[in-house]
Amino acid sequence: MDANSDVTAARRGYADVSKYSRAKPHLNIGTIGHVDHGKTTLTAAITKVLAEEGGAKFTDYAEIDKAPEEKARGITINSAHIEYESSARHYGHIDCPGHADYIKNMITGAAQMDGAIVVVSATDGQMPQTREHLLLARQVGVKKLVVFINKVDMIQDTEMLELVDMEMRDLLSTYNFDGENTPIIMGSALAALEGRDEEIGKKKVLELVQACDEWLDIPTRDLDKPFLLPIEDVFSIAGRGTVVTGRAERGTINKGDEVEIIGLGTKIKTTLTGIESFHKELDRGEAGDNMGALIRGIKREEVKRGQVMIAPGSIKAVKSFQAQIYVLTKDEGGRYTPFMASYQPQVFIRTADISTSLQWPEGTPDAQDKMVMPGDNVEMVCNLFHDVAAEPGTRFTIREGGRTIGTGIVTKILEYA
Amino acid sequence: MFSTTARQRAAALLHARAYSTAKPSIKLVAELRKRTEVSIAKAHEALAATSNDIPAALAWLEKDLQVTGLAKAAKVQDRATGQGLVGVSVLSRGPEGAAPADAVRGGLRAAIVELNCETDFVARNELFARLLADIAHTATFITDPAPGSNADPKLIRPVPTDALLDAPLLSASDPNTTAGKALATVASAIRDLTAKVGEKISLSRAAAVAREPPVPLSTRALRLAHYLHGSVGRPTQGRIGGLVATSLAAPTLVELLGREAFRADLDKLERALARQVVGFETSAIRAAEKDETALYQQPFMMYPGANGETVEAVLRRWAQEHGLVSEVEGKPQGGIEVLDFARWTVGVYN
Repeated sequence: MDANSDVTAARRGYADVSKYSRAKPHLNIGTIGHVDHGKTTLTAAITKVLAEEGGAKFTDYAEIDKAPEEKARGITINSAHIEYESSARHYGHIDCPGHADYIKNMITGAAQMDGAIVVVSATDGQMPQTREHLLLARQVGVKKLVVFINKVDMIQDTEMLELVDMEMRDLLSTYNFDGENTPIIMGSALAALEGRDEEIGKKKVLELVQACDEWLDIPTRDLDKPFLLPIEDVFSIAGRGTVVTGRAERGTINKGDEVEIIGLGTKIKTTLTGIESFHKELDRGEAGDNMGALIRGIKREEVKRGQVMIAPGSIKAVKSFQAQIYVLTKDEGGRYTPFMASYQPQVFIRTADISTSLQWPEGTPDAQDKMVMPGDNVEMVCNLFHDVAAEPGTRFTIREGGRTIGTGIVTKILEYA
Repeated sequence: MFSTTARQRAAALLHARAYSTAKPSIKLVAELRKRTEVSIAKAHEALAATSNDIPAALAWLEKDLQVTGLAKAAKVQDRATGQGLVGVSVLSRGPEGAAPADAVRGGLRAAIVELNCETDFVARNELFARLLADIAHTATFITDPAPGSNADPKLIRPVPTDALLDAPLLSASDPNTTAGKALATVASAIRDLTAKVGEKISLSRAAAVAREPPVPLSTRALRLAHYLHGSVGRPTQGRIGGLVATSLAAPTLVELLGREAFRADLDKLERALARQVVGFETSAIRAAEKDETALYQQPFMMYPGANGETVEAVLRRWAQEHGLVSEVEGKPQGGIEVLDFARWTVGVYN
């Protein structure tokens, strides 16, 4: 959430001060690959090559390889963050040591990966665990990948490169990526890093960045999404009517627009008759704004905290969804003991606080016996006691007795209200 | 970006090369890789050394794997292996059959093993899971039944990893796999996997249970249960593994074990014990003082209907309710007792 506000703040006027202009669209990418295939060297090489173009600060191998521990929403994640920019885009680049760290990144939203670079060595070709790398990319919601075949200078028989290429395309297709059209760049990250053999070094790194620019899709900016305001509070102002307050999560809204208020058993349509932010009247509100919204013909009792005000039809209230959940360890302030299916904590989605029952997805083997322990990443079904606006990608926290014990992201809607 | 024309070119190349023996063809390298999962460079080398003869190349690779595996293992030997899985193999978990004779015949034979690697990507791979299953299976066989008396509670005994590494690897899924082939040892199988996945693989610990049925057969029995938490594929492998050995005693044990309902309830209880050990920090069965890591003092959360009762209380109640206890010469006899357990978490040793 904080990251979002930074982005919006920068977008609205401070962009010219910052060196990395937020005017360029931003994209988070990660590197995935076998430990010896040169992920870290490639990342260092990208910063080096782009630093020469003025688009990055060179980050050397040792700095990236450390993957420092960091806290996101109270959760410890090992991950290295680097940033750089091409002529077209600004990139946030993450590099994690393991599957679990990438999953935690996704759940917390610390660095949601929009795309990824899969690194494969030309000498080894894809390895047995390359399958796990692609499965991970799928799991964290990456739709498109770019492949970098590294260490091509170590291969004498160049025909073998064709084989690496073909095998990789086959595997990509097997895991539902676009094997036919995914860009595969062949080069040497080390050559680029050491500033030698420009043909396979620097040039290929630039080609890789260009492939990222052209192939990986920019996620929709919050500002461009349909309007959504989580309702924090409701007031009744004498002579004017009912005002709802909150911080717009996404989209823009104009005075006079039709809106819908949904969640907690309610679904009402009304018209926005006034927008106010910090005691000033506005004609237009947008993502990031703290605003008060005057709504027509609605009594104060009809609206409450936890509902959302939205562009009509843009999101639905749901009763049940599947989610990827991370359960905090006791060191992270979470539970000490395991829990089982039918556990009933509170789920906090935006401003809503709803009792929930957690169940294993249908078809889970031994569901009766299965437990969830602190530190686990699990896919579970949340059956909500009251409906709330949610869609795949909606994040939430799970609390129990005023303490956060888990955090999750909606992956699938099972039942609408 | 490689376009379809590049693919077509590659396909054409494939076609042209298939008949040439001068240089290893892409097609043969690809086939060799499908069959062995060796690196591209190795597959290429094998075909070059054997004039593109697949069977010969396979033999060449098998021989070479020993050298490559050693070299690769040497290269990665200083790396940390913080990831991995705990796996169990249970061949015999005590009396199981319905016939009175079966009911008491079974002894115990099982093993628990921890195999480590560098990243959880490899730990999630099927090759790793298969190797762990085979090693756990092997560990159950290389342990001789401990003579131990009925009174000896130490059932789960450490297996020296050196001995296990030198043992011939037995396949858990197919007893005939090793037939006709030179026997691989556990150590060489580990090196083979290192050669394939390029990570250090290490066997950090193993323990096994091997025990003949107790005497007298008619009134005593040993049983074993397990639970694995954090499984990716196989239910016998996970991030935390628990193995619990219990002893049953009753004057009418043969008759009780012959009843299906009794055995089903017993399974439930034992499984709950294994889950309790895994789910809660457990370091002992009993403790003289108040200690939450003592199994018997813990509220038995994993047993449905325990209502806050301790493990000890539930076991006592269960034994009463299920007719294990009866009066013999004025004194109550029989019951169920936890004799030994193992609780292993990947990367946590104490």
